[in-house]
Amino acid sequence: MANQTGRNSQAQERLSQVTGHLSGKKGRQGLLEKHADDVVVTCALRTPFTKGGKGGFKDTAAADLLHGAFKTLIERSGIDPKLVEDIAVGAVLAPGGGATEFRAAALAAGFPVTTSCKSLNRQCSSGLQACVDIANAIKSGMIEIGIGAGAESMSQQYGPQAVTEFSELLESHKEAANCKVPMGVLSEKMAKSKGIARADQDKFAAESFQKAIEAQKKGLFDEEIAPLKVKWTDPKTDEEKEITVSKDDGVREGITAESLAKIRPAFSKDGSIHAGNASQISDGAAAVLLMKRSTAERLGQKIIGKFVQASIVGVPPLLMGVGPAAAIPVVLGKTGLDKDDVDIYEINEAFASQCLYCINELGLDKAKINPKGGAIAFGHPLGVTGARQVSTLLTELKRTGKSVGVTSMCIGTG
Amino acid sequence: MLEYRTQGYNGYSVKYSPFFDSRIAVAASANFGLVGNGRIYILGLTPNGIVAEKWFDTQDSLFDTTWSESHENQLLTAGGDGSVKLFDISLSDYPVQSWQEHAREVFSVHWNLVGKDTFLSSSWDGTIKIWNPNANASLTTLPTHSCTYSAEFSPHSPSILSSVSSDSHMRVFDLRTPASASNHLTMSIPIHTPPKARMGAAAPVGIPPSEALTHDWNKYRDTILATAGVDRMVRVWDIRNPSGGPIAVLPGHEYAIRRLTWSPHLSDTLLSASYDMTCRVWTDGSAMGVPPANPQNMMDASNMSLGEGREMGRMGRHTEFVTGVDWCLFGAEGWCASTGWDERVLVWDARAIMQ
Repeated sequence: MANQTGRNSQAQERLSQVTGHLSGKKGRQGLLEKHADDVVVTCALRTPFTKGGKGGFKDTAAADLLHGAFKTLIERSGIDPKLVEDIAVGAVLAPGGGATEFRAAALAAGFPVTTSCKSLNRQCSSGLQACVDIANAIKSGMIEIGIGAGAESMSQQYGPQAVTEFSELLESHKEAANCKVPMGVLSEKMAKSKGIARADQDKFAAESFQKAIEAQKKGLFDEEIAPLKVKWTDPKTDEEKEITVSKDDGVREGITAESLAKIRPAFSKDGSIHAGNASQISDGAAAVLLMKRSTAERLGQKIIGKFVQASIVGVPPLLMGVGPAAAIPVVLGKTGLDKDDVDIYEINEAFASQCLYCINELGLDKAKINPKGGAIAFGHPLGVTGARQVSTLLTELKRTGKSVGVTSMCIGTG
Repeated sequence: MLEYRTQGYNGYSVKYSPFFDSRIAVAASANFGLVGNGRIYILGLTPNGIVAEKWFDTQDSLFDTTWSESHENQLLTAGGDGSVKLFDISLSDYPVQSWQEHAREVFSVHWNLVGKDTFLSSSWDGTIKIWNPNANASLTTLPTHSCTYSAEFSPHSPSILSSVSSDSHMRVFDLRTPASASNHLTMSIPIHTPPKARMGAAAPVGIPPSEALTHDWNKYRDTILATAGVDRMVRVWDIRNPSGGPIAVLPGHEYAIRRLTWSPHLSDTLLSASYDMTCRVWTDGSAMGVPPANPQNMMDASNMSLGEGREMGRMGRHTEFVTGVDWCLFGAEGWCASTGWDERVLVWDARAIMQ
């Protein structure tokens, strides 16, 4: 902290003004320029996502998944763990935020005690927030190298204990009390009031499955996935065995809009949302290695992407799904981009209804959205998806030779 | 090329005297104008090179200067402390008058070229102020609500003035209009307005706003202005059609453009000074007999250029940001002076670099 009341701040303001004149090149071209002080990603990966309660990771703790992601990250990037100064882990359901066990997981994965570790919770976008936090810390000069990560075991930690009872004070405030409305219920209401038909949602969900299965078959996820060897209890025989999980097991073949149309709505009889067009309950972890471009070049790290800008916008709790429609224009405005300048959008599919609403509201080209499917197809381990989207996005941009991507998600409670 | 060294002071603005062809004023600041003193130099062009006839020191940085149109020995300075000062070069040490109304750095001062009894100042505090040198307080304050880097009276009318600011807008004020809620504002043009679609070319869309740092009125065509700034483009506007977009767009500078000035002799010719350490001469393509744009310009990667305008030459002798440039009003039609952060004032003939 520094006293900023005197002439120093005036000089600082004049300096930042001149700096603004020089760096003011906005828009796509400016964004693609390379500068030594850019924050860049040199490695982004994730464990496979598996079905909550029955998938390959059902008996593995979130911290163990994180441990696996860290180990592979160190191995693939070749980064010296000693150089990593901070790790931020997004997690939603872990009691106490998971701070203790994630720190332990970092140590077990080979990071020295000097590498600090924190956990944070911004609901569904915790993993994304973790990456943004680390990028901002690097930008401001607080650290030089950091990891943004996410870890979630919905098999073990999903349940009513995730939210404490509201006090009378909160219950008596209308908008505050709305925070407690279950997401399925409010998404149902939103779908109805915004006029998003079930058929459209089913079509969107089926496409997510179809894109994901195709990508999986072509091996497009292999590059970003870190296979993990875990203990797994066979539910039929109760026999504990060691298995290697290397694939998202929530991706199902042969899903069509017609087959989804048969599923009963989950939240109300005449509703439109059901298990097939909402995100799956899953387990997984993801990690993203970030540093300054100059640092990456010095260490010989392979740069796979550049962090440009992040934005966050609050929306009403009952309309929490419209988040991306509110936040994406802000980030585009900040960077001076037009929506057509962006090559790929990774927008989290919490529910087909809200994702569809955001796409229509923003008038985005559907071909650019989630080209390898999304959370409806391979799951949404709450705190992980943000970091997962970063790795999926960068891998896909690289594969297709494109350059500008946007990742966005809606957040429970708005 | 003649050269003068403003030792210890980084140039911010240079202006030829409207009365003498051999006199130049240079506003300069210590420590790149970030913190420290300012100095206004009065330079004389002599057979023995450039000599400093006089200078005045100020407490805070100086960012701009303008000569009085009514008094050959007087000139104004724009100060970092929000002050506007009037100096008389026949006196020593102190200004004859100092006005302290702006809350933040003053970025431009400009004397009314037609009604020679008023001048204006514009500031980072988001206002333009109109002054009379004999009055202790400003006559009028025009808000822009945005850091106003450049404001200027029209050379064709005593009551019309314009400004550009960091909100990417060019504003035109007419002091004859009633001072209603709009504060004499008659026009506000977004500088990032895309040019109109042309035959055979799609109209560019989604040009992001960017800070506008400089602008100038054409000396011959009374509705034509040029603007430039952070997005590195020079744009030419006809304010008779404010919503029609620019009539010429001239890409080329590699960094933000700090100063722009139309030739006092040629109606189509512009001079620019940029953070890319060059001064460039441009034609906006409006004059007869200008050869069409060369193919290289047409091939410009960003394909942003519009109209028949083109760069006619550049002067790359500065070794730091070029912040000020001005044409000599007298004599042969190519003499100009430039200054920059390399602590140098260069006097040169633009015809030597034009192709």
